Amino acid sequence: MAIQESEGSRAPRRVRRLQAAALLGAAALLLTACGGNAGGTTQSAAGSSEPVKGGTLVYAEVTPINNFQTQSARFYEKANVLNSVLDRLTYFDAESGKLVPWIASSFKANGDNTEFTFDLKPGVTFSDGTKLDAAAVKANLDALGKGVEKAQIQPNVDFSAYKSAEVVDQDTVKVQLKSADANFLRATSSVAAGLVSPKTLELDNAGQSDIKQISGSGPFVYESEKPDEEVVLAKRADYKWAPETAKNQGAAYLDKVVVKYLPEVAHRAGAVQSGQVDLVRGLQPADEAAVASSGNQVLPAPGIDLTANTAAVRIGSGKLADEKVRRALQVGIDRQALKDTVLSDSYQIAGSILNHKAPGFVDLSADLAYNPEQAKKLLDEAGWVPGADGIRAKDGRKLEVTVTTSNNSVVIKPAFELIEQQWRAIGVKLVNRAADNTFLATALQDPKVEFFGTRQFAYGGLGPVFGPETNTQTLNADKELNALFADERAAADADKHKELVAEEQRALVTDKALALVLWDEVQVYGAHEGTHVEFTSGTAPIFQGAWKANG
Amino acid sequence: MGRYVALRIGQALLVVWLAYTVIFLAVQLLPGDPVTIFLSTDAAVDQATIDNMKRQYGYDQPLPVQYFAQLGGLLHGDVGYSLASGEPVAARIGGVIGSTLALALSAFATAVGLALAVVAAATLTRSAALRKLLTNLPPLFAAVPVFWLGLVLLELLSIRWGVMSLFPDGSFLSLAVPVFVLGVHVSAPIAQVLLKSIDTVYNQPFIDVLRAKGASAAWIFFHHALKNAAGPAATITGITVGTLLAGSVITETVFARSGLGAVVLQAVTTQDVPLVQGLVLLTATVFVAVNLLVDLLYPLLDPRILKSNGQGSPRALGV
Repeated sequence: MAIQESEGSRAPRRVRRLQAAALLGAAALLLTACGGNAGGTTQSAAGSSEPVKGGTLVYAEVTPINNFQTQSARFYEKANVLNSVLDRLTYFDAESGKLVPWIASSFKANGDNTEFTFDLKPGVTFSDGTKLDAAAVKANLDALGKGVEKAQIQPNVDFSAYKSAEVVDQDTVKVQLKSADANFLRATSSVAAGLVSPKTLELDNAGQSDIKQISGSGPFVYESEKPDEEVVLAKRADYKWAPETAKNQGAAYLDKVVVKYLPEVAHRAGAVQSGQVDLVRGLQPADEAAVASSGNQVLPAPGIDLTANTAAVRIGSGKLADEKVRRALQVGIDRQALKDTVLSDSYQIAGSILNHKAPGFVDLSADLAYNPEQAKKLLDEAGWVPGADGIRAKDGRKLEVTVTTSNNSVVIKPAFELIEQQWRAIGVKLVNRAADNTFLATALQDPKVEFFGTRQFAYGGLGPVFGPETNTQTLNADKELNALFADERAAADADKHKELVAEEQRALVTDKALALVLWDEVQVYGAHEGTHVEFTSGTAPIFQGAWKANG
Repeated sequence: MGRYVALRIGQALLVVWLAYTVIFLAVQLLPGDPVTIFLSTDAAVDQATIDNMKRQYGYDQPLPVQYFAQLGGLLHGDVGYSLASGEPVAARIGGVIGSTLALALSAFATAVGLALAVVAAATLTRSAALRKLLTNLPPLFAAVPVFWLGLVLLELLSIRWGVMSLFPDGSFLSLAVPVFVLGVHVSAPIAQVLLKSIDTVYNQPFIDVLRAKGASAAWIFFHHALKNAAGPAATITGITVGTLLAGSVITETVFARSGLGAVVLQAVTTQDVPLVQGLVLLTATVFVAVNLLVDLLYPLLDPRILKSNGQGSPRALGV
């Protein structure tokens, strides 16, 4: 199939696209077959020449969404729109790996990370005219930390340590935490901690979820919508409070951004190539080469704010209760083969549970190298012996394990199909229920379903992701891990904190092997030629700095 | 007649109530309640948050209380709240149903027209080859999946030739193409059944009598055969409402149109159980309503229905 991929001529690609359409039901197969060799990936061309002012950028999201309430369930569809409407106190600069000032012109913690002081930029206003002052920030922090009970809005999970905020003066807010939290500042950079006008916070649940009624201080404001079809955002001409590291410190170059939806994955490449959209999210690996070779751009946006894509382990069925079995499965995955067959050059093999560019990342790739012999040895030691059909068994039970995932990722199902083959070679049977949302509805809460394949925002560190008893990854509160998470959150010294974050990764990935890591989270965008756009560490397009060569 | 109508309406209401009950019970069979399921798609949430939200939406009440409270709400048109947007389910569905209805009704009219045209042409043509070709069209229509036809047409019309947008833009083609795609698919079973029953009618002696009297082929087809063959086609038309709804969902997704399709997709991906519940109930109600309509139309097509004892569906007569 690699031959087909390398043929650059027009006709065969069309034929292949039509086949792809015909075989949508079997798209996974096609992906497996045609995935590799998607060369020619281009990086963002931003900064290559002077930005052009004006124009409308048409952006195609994956599915429509009608809940834009700031802190509830965190979906890309929502964050990618809200990122241009709401500002945050801080901004994570991926280049330096540091938090930089945004609405907070400076911020500092006390010695033990229980008290934080934010100095606010003067003169910032929400689009409804309200001042973004200390009182407005306090109102937002209260909503994030405690929820808004009368509007049925739940607290933001990354603000679980929040106790109270105090207005020191018009431009200064002081936050008290119930307990030390070394990740608190990072959590203020998330889109899910976006600041809205105090008037928006007064609305009921439906009102706060309605993009029409949400007023932020961001570079774009809501202009119009056709429900489930498009949202039009217009630039705010008086915007002058971008994050400190933003190249564009003023109003957006673009006049308007039109957000449309392309739930049909087969159209996304064609939409960019035909110029009907300037930017599309969720390009399939199989389409990347065609987009790049037609003079358009393939833009991978690394998910630095998220965990790597991982198969989180649930030990409820007992089959994976022994660490040795989990470690065997960890080294029984050939990640390079996964990249070569299912993914593309836009994807990076995971080196840990954190993204390679995330603060505190430790490279565990040496421990993750494919080693089927060691895997077999570990399984032998754990007492699982191969049966007549090649599948291992112990005490009359076969080593048959199940994976569940949502259908959100275009590559997750073929990825687990390949892992299924790899594990068969070491005598483990994987029942692949990836991308089956119906199964997920029950499996998500079922600790007997051994694997949950996913990735998750980790603004509050790894603790909120893997710690609580209700965590959807492992569905289990591991005492040792939780002690580690608690120490990490409480660590006041930066070096000490970094060391503990490293320890958490080693515990999750190698020692306990509760997260079988696969590839770093990345969202692959397709952009029409002449479109210049960069992305946040949470993979959201930064429309404030975007521009089109032809205006 | 009055007794017949009252009976049919009573039965329809009973079916809707049973459907509601089954849906309610099915939701109870899920592990966890709607709130837990919804919140679990996100990061770990603490139990206090879950309990709080359950209380707000009434999921902490004993089952019988929930059942009757929801049933009572239903009678007032209140189908609960979407957990994802906090919007009432009825408002969420009501906001988009117009778009789906426009698509589905136009597609339905297209389907009936297409089926009639194919059947009339196949019956009236003198060319055996053309008749063979035409009678093979409905199985072909049935075999072509809605999404495939939609994808191919969009690939050609939008991406390759650039005559229409990938997105709904209010142009003629942006409605006509999805309507055609869905209409073709829905026409297949109607045309198939109509062809078959026309065949049966043509084998009956009265057709020979009409021919002997010198009636033209077209006169026989439109004035006599069609009405006699319409019964089974009407039955299958009632059943195609399911195909029509499912097809609308797929067509809307392919053509990026707003409508029930997008809502279904959202409700399922965000695991918004109350919204799914509302959608399933709506589907059941539409199904029952359309079939009720067909039952009520039946006596007009075949007056023998009213002469029977009026028990059970008239279609049991096997006209």
